[in-house]
Parts: sequence; structure tokens; C-alpha cells
Amino acid sequence: MLVGAFACPHTPQLLVRPETEDRDLVLRVHAALGRVRRRLAELRPDALAVIAGDHIEAFFLDAVPALAVYVGAECAGTFGRYRYRFPIHEPLARAVVEQGVARGFDLLYTQDAPLDYAFFVPLHFTMPEPAVPIVPLHVNVYLPPQPTPARCHAWGAALAEILGARPERVALMASGGMSHFPGTDRYASPDFDWDRQALETLRAGRGRELAELTGEELDRAGNIELRTWITLLGAVGDATADVYCYEPSWHHGNAVVEWPLRSHPRSAPASRAPLQ
Amino acid sequence: MTEPHYRFPPAGAYRLNRCLHALKADDAFRARFLADPDAAMGEYLLEAEERAALVRGDRDALVARGAHPYLVFMADLRLRMARGTQTFEYF
Repeated sequence: MLVGAFACPHTPQLLVRPETEDRDLVLRVHAALGRVRRRLAELRPDALAVIAGDHIEAFFLDAVPALAVYVGAECAGTFGRYRYRFPIHEPLARAVVEQGVARGFDLLYTQDAPLDYAFFVPLHFTMPEPAVPIVPLHVNVYLPPQPTPARCHAWGAALAEILGARPERVALMASGGMSHFPGTDRYASPDFDWDRQALETLRAGRGRELAELTGEELDRAGNIELRTWITLLGAVGDATADVYCYEPSWHHGNAVVEWPLRSHPRSAPASRAPLQ
Repeated sequence: MTEPHYRFPPAGAYRLNRCLHALKADDAFRARFLADPDAAMGEYLLEAEERAALVRGDRDALVARGAHPYLVFMADLRLRMARGTQTFEYF
């Protein structure tokens, strides 16, 4: 069952802050991510399914999948001085890939691909104690042609059905966004107005409207990574967004969002059968 | 229609993108590049203009040759982190 849904930025400067980055802003985003960690601790998921766009790290031009599922026993990666390793919830990951393919999504799966910082940054700041296994789900955002927003949304709807039918408590997390243009001459000019308007749409529970955007519109707005959010939106339907923060830096719109879902209290320990 | 910010990477720029990917993702290659850029770029058979643009950190020239802008961005960040010429705070 799905018990939680969140979107978190993975801006590398939140992890490795250069002197050019506003420290107070970074700490405010950390505080919002800390709220996500506390919410996850309350929700007590059995697994965290993270939807992120690999940054041409695991999937380079030798093989470019549109959608992929990490199904190994664990996954690992590095970013600068960080060395990380996470157990994968293998039965859940396998169910996602098998049932996803059965539903017509031609997924790539991997038991060995390295895990990019797009996954690591939010996990670094939000993994609750005790830690839970993850299911990394890749959506191609950086290498055209990327999957359409409509396809991402449909994949998210399928994910909700697959995960909803499972006995495990699963929290979903989309990693990325909002507006930024790394490596281009627009790096210092993100489209913050576009971001704010999109957040209003999400607050109103109209997330499915984002599935109607074109890839060109996402590229123009610096929001190619929003494909991960749109995937999650396919899973949460008309849930309304609780925006924990929106912090525009000089190059990046950092948003932390929760979509509160119908509560699924963890069942109390079985009471003893009455003595007869 | 205006050009997208992130274009289909032309096949002619494959070696250049492979080299940028190695600068971003391969610690040992990055160390070799810092020690001897020309020898390191030779591993990917980069052309003279590509080598010159990479050594200058000339983003526009690299992108014009088909480099993926994100790879240019992250190769540059990882080089700055490795060179230690800029102060970073690690969380």
C-alpha cells in the first residue's frame, strides 16, 4: 500500500556547499528535508521508492533507457567524498519490474548500475531511523528524447496500482526540480514564476494538468526533471500538495513537498485470543 | 522554434562526452587529467580544438561541439572540488 508521497530537491550544493551558495537558504532547505524525515519516521514505511533521473552517471550514451528499475540486493554509488550503499527491497523491486512489464511498460532493469546523487542527496537528508530499504526508479530526464510527461504520468498510475496491491507499506519520493538550467547560459536565470504557478496547481490538487505539458515546455521552463514529479503525480491522483518550502537560489528553485495520503495506520500487534 | 537547452547529443561528440563523463564519474581519470591533461584527453582521442576548449573550461565552445551541457557543468564542479581552489562545506 502507498502510505506517503514526497518531492525533494537533489541540488548538489545542498550536500556540498560552495562559498557562492547562500548558507541560510541551504539550511532552510535542510530543515524542510528534516520534516520529511520525521514524517517518514511517523509513517513507518517498509520501503521507500525513489523516482529520480540519473544524471548520465549509470546510463551514459552506450545505453539510454527511458524508464528503469534497480532490482539488485543493494545499490551503491559515490559523489566526491561520499560513499553510499543502500539495501534494495528486492521483492518489491521485482514486483514493480515484472508487473510493470506485464502492464505494457518496457522497463530496463539493472542489478548493478551505480546509484547517482539524484537518489543519494534526498536519501542523505530524509532517511528515517531505523533505515528502510529502497526501490530506485529511474526516469530519463537529461538525454533526449525523454519520455513524455503523459507517459511518466501513466507509469506513475501503474506504479500506484502495483504498489497499492502489495502488503508492504511504501512511501514514494520524487527527486529533482524545480527550475534550473545546469551547463547552459541560462544557469543564473531559472523560471521561478513558472515554478510558483506549478506549485499552486499542485496545492489545488490539479497535478494531472502537468501531465498535459509537452517536453518542449518543460525544457523551456528549466523543468526537465519534473518528469519524476509527474510520475509521482500519476500515483497520487488528485491529492493536494502541502508545500514545505520553496527556496529559489541564484540558480535553482528548491521545493520540498508532501502529498498527504489517506492514512493507513500500522496495525496494532495482534491481541491475544480471548481465553475460552 | 528555439533550440532546446538539452539537445540530442550528436554522435560526432561521443568521445568528447565520454571524456566529460569520465571527468565527472571516474575519480582515477580525474586525477590523471589534473596531473597531465593532454595525456588524459589523449585516452579519448580528443581533437585539438576539443582539448583546448576543455582546458580553458570554455562551456560555449564545448556545447557548440556537441558536449552535453549537464556533463560540462558537472565535470567542471567535480574538477573544482578536486582542485580545492574553492571552499566547500560538506553536510
